[in-house]
Amino acid sequence: MITERQEELAALHAFGLLEGAERDAFVAELAANPDLRALCDSLVGTAAELALASPPIAPPASLKARILTAAGEPAGTGKVVSFPLLKFAPWAVAAALAVAVTWFASQNLALRNENLTLRSERQLAEVAYKMAQNQLTERSLIAEKMIAELGNQLRQSEDLTRLKVTALASLAGNTKEAQAIAVWNPEQQSGLLTIEKLPTIADTQDYQIWIVDPAYPNPVNGGVFHVGADGKVALGFKPDQPVAQAAAFAISLEKKGGVPKAEGPIVLLGR
Amino acid sequence: MLLASVRLFPFPGTASPPRAEPARFCVMPAATDSSDPQNQAGEQAALLTAMARGDKTALARLYDSLAKPLYSLAFRVLNDATEAQDIIQDVFLQMWHKAADYDTSRGSVFSWAATLTRNRAIDRVRMRRRRAELLAESAGELQPAASTGDADSAGSLWAQEKAGVVRAALTQLAPDQQKAIELAYFSGLTQQEIATRLNEPLGTIKARIRRGLLQLRETLPARL
Repeated sequence: MITERQEELAALHAFGLLEGAERDAFVAELAANPDLRALCDSLVGTAAELALASPPIAPPASLKARILTAAGEPAGTGKVVSFPLLKFAPWAVAAALAVAVTWFASQNLALRNENLTLRSERQLAEVAYKMAQNQLTERSLIAEKMIAELGNQLRQSEDLTRLKVTALASLAGNTKEAQAIAVWNPEQQSGLLTIEKLPTIADTQDYQIWIVDPAYPNPVNGGVFHVGADGKVALGFKPDQPVAQAAAFAISLEKKGGVPKAEGPIVLLGR
Repeated sequence: MLLASVRLFPFPGTASPPRAEPARFCVMPAATDSSDPQNQAGEQAALLTAMARGDKTALARLYDSLAKPLYSLAFRVLNDATEAQDIIQDVFLQMWHKAADYDTSRGSVFSWAATLTRNRAIDRVRMRRRRAELLAESAGELQPAASTGDADSAGSLWAQEKAGVVRAALTQLAPDQQKAIELAYFSGLTQQEIATRLNEPLGTIKARIRRGLLQLRETLPARL
């Protein structure tokens, strides 16, 4: 079962229009949903066919030669050139080997003792080097881990102090049972909204999020969402303008797709 | 009017999509009806397999088949002949070096090549920071201009025939859907920039792109 929202994300993905967290989330969803992946592949193919809608223009004739030249000769495709003298190669190799064996035999005895000594010294040096290297690696890893932990602790404490958590309540009594919490991160200019028991609405309508910032005459648009039959929603939102101070959050009922300025009734409000 | 970009965050998974083994073709294609899309797609896949074995003749034949539509796409996005040629050279060299990685289960050779071309062209557009200028150039209605190049080779006749089908399918879309689809594919603009450009709420633009692309998928029966 593929929802309209998934179709929409698949279409945007086919055009490369998803960005950042939205793209990462959709790619993760693709990995877990073969039907969605098949739809996405199909839409990518359809989008690629749009290339043919371009007004036809032939490339210059020189381009083909340029590309073939740049491609070069692929590895392993060169032809072996025969050479008559190669027939005598085995004899030449045998003669060379005979001379070499004689010479190596004379050198072998002299070098053997020296070689054994050098090999022992080298093995000892290698062991010492590896021990020192292991110690350094171990110390470096411990130091890196400590620095990373300290950094995480610092970031977490800083992030928590910046978050603004707001409970939204029914304003006109039309959503008495609805429970909503908005968490706002001013650093990232994004928020998370969780709602329960929100009444379902017609397909021609959407709920729209608003952020009240004293810097603007009108509330800042935070996007639209639709609620399922269970009345539960959990979503991230981003305002379309920078928010310096999120003084309050509101949710209104608007026409499908949302409006630039709130027109419908405010159903939830929180400061 | 700028509207918000609502970002829903489903729980992310950790697994990456499974990737099928690349298909292997052992025989070079025989001469076929070059205008038949099915034959053409199979022939292009076989050429790519031959390229993976180091067959430079196959690269030349694939160039004859794909260069014109890909160059037209690059030129449409960039509006610059020199940059479009650079893109086409990069794309064919990438296909030459990565031919063995081609996976038939993920789409046709043309689809792969067109995606490579478009992505590279749009990267350049964004890098040049010339969006305003390009918008003005690309915002015109889709005009099937006459070919300005040499006579078509047999390899690109299929593209010419298929182009007529794609343009006809585009004209069957509602004008606002057509405009959104064209900007989404050719302009290199973001969702929000398309909404701003068309002076519509972001949700409306997303819906138009979804409906338009799904209708195109139904209208265009065969993959290239």
